[in-house]
Amino acid sequence: MSDRITVEELSELMKKAAGVTVAPEELKQRCDSGFDALGIDSLGLLGIVGELENRYGTPMPPDAEKSKSPRQFLELTNSALLAGA
Amino acid sequence: MSEPHPRRAAVTGIGVVAPNGTSTETFWKSTREGISVLDRVAREGCEHLPLRVAGQIRDFDPPSAIEERYLVQTDRFTHFAMAAADLALDDAGLDRPATDAAPFSVGVVTAAGSGGGEFGQRELQQLWSKGSRFVGPYQSIAWFYAASTGQISIRRGFKGPCGVIASDEAGGLDALAHAARAVRRGTDVMVAGATEAPLAPYSVVCQLGYGELSTVEDPERAYRPFTAAACGFVPAEGGAMLVVEAEAAARERGAPVRAVLAGHAATFTGASRWEQSREGLAEAIRGALREAGCAPEEIDVVFADALGVPEADRAEALAIADALGTHGTRVPVTAPKTAIGRGYGAAPVLDAAAAVLAMEHGVIPPTPNVFDICHDLDLVTTRARAAEPRTALVLSRGLMGSNSALVLRLGAGDAS
Repeated sequence: MSDRITVEELSELMKKAAGVTVAPEELKQRCDSGFDALGIDSLGLLGIVGELENRYGTPMPPDAEKSKSPRQFLELTNSALLAGA
Repeated sequence: MSEPHPRRAAVTGIGVVAPNGTSTETFWKSTREGISVLDRVAREGCEHLPLRVAGQIRDFDPPSAIEERYLVQTDRFTHFAMAAADLALDDAGLDRPATDAAPFSVGVVTAAGSGGGEFGQRELQQLWSKGSRFVGPYQSIAWFYAASTGQISIRRGFKGPCGVIASDEAGGLDALAHAARAVRRGTDVMVAGATEAPLAPYSVVCQLGYGELSTVEDPERAYRPFTAAACGFVPAEGGAMLVVEAEAAARERGAPVRAVLAGHAATFTGASRWEQSREGLAEAIRGALREAGCAPEEIDVVFADALGVPEADRAEALAIADALGTHGTRVPVTAPKTAIGRGYGAAPVLDAAAAVLAMEHGVIPPTPNVFDICHDLDLVTTRARAAEPRTALVLSRGLMGSNSALVLRLGAGDAS
């Protein structure tokens, strides 16, 4: 586990929490597509947030689960990790 | 104002995922042959429980039937429902482009008796072993009775009227009746039925309180309705979905009209009040016949509820006689569910599917494991009976007191 959430980790969590398989390489290219287009619904994203909070032992910003895209999600969650460090 | 040509509700597709077959063809072959698949409960975590025998599905592979993103957010009962809906829609010749062209013309209605017990158990174990932060958000929808209706409509892109019936075992027939009403009100296609998955340890424990549950260890003796050895029922998982379609819409697209949902009625007589179910079931039969415009003598076969509790079996035999008169002692009666167990709300939908197939194939399937009948019924036992049934009556009662009857008439196939 690194000190920041990577595209690889997000890809892994998308599969684990929402059953959606997008390889990290592809996810990097689609970082600005909407989660809905990737097949992740609001409960799926909420599950990813919960999983991250358990892993990193810190709350994620309330807006994380409302992120529209992977890029926005990673920026929000990583800034929270950085602030908490 | 009466319509000159009321919209009749036709059955144009059947999808089955059952202990004796995970396709409509294998289900029917096994049902017709009277092959019992009741077996010792082998589900992990159930070994020490007093329920010994059930109808279990062993050859269903969820990942090969359902996309992963739907699997992670749903319980086994919804996996069955999505798979059965796919089979029914394929059977009806309604592929994705066809329903995408008119998404508001397709609705879904399902019945459920217990919801998603396996999923719920897993998440509740997370809650009490690790804490609330470890409960996944899909718990909020997966164990809910309405999950299957919602997921079928989302997955297939249907936008027509949707509903969920929670009325006990008899809810399976009530869901088909609800679909028929939706069709009469103007929706062209309804995907309707019920599936259940009551064999997770948590779900089994919930059922142990039912006095009607059979805890007999021998699969051949555990569920024998209408005999002096009747000792309760055994549960089953799986179920069926039907495509219920406006007859005119079916004919317009050249789909065979396999049967018509002609009449239905439901009553309520209270939990485990089996003696009183006689009157309630008889009244449901009369109501269904009335709606179908059907005389008692027109009924060619009865698919019995067959609970397997002496008092309940007696009440059902008497209800058939009360409602059908002397015809009630002559009409062939069958209970193919003795081969697979009772799937709660799914049981009468499987019976409705078997009724359509029986009419199409001109044969009445038998009642396995049942031999010496101690009621005045012409129960079809041992082997299938050749016949030409054109009108079938399907009966269902729930442990909590619901009684329903459904009249199905053989369709005219693809003749116009």
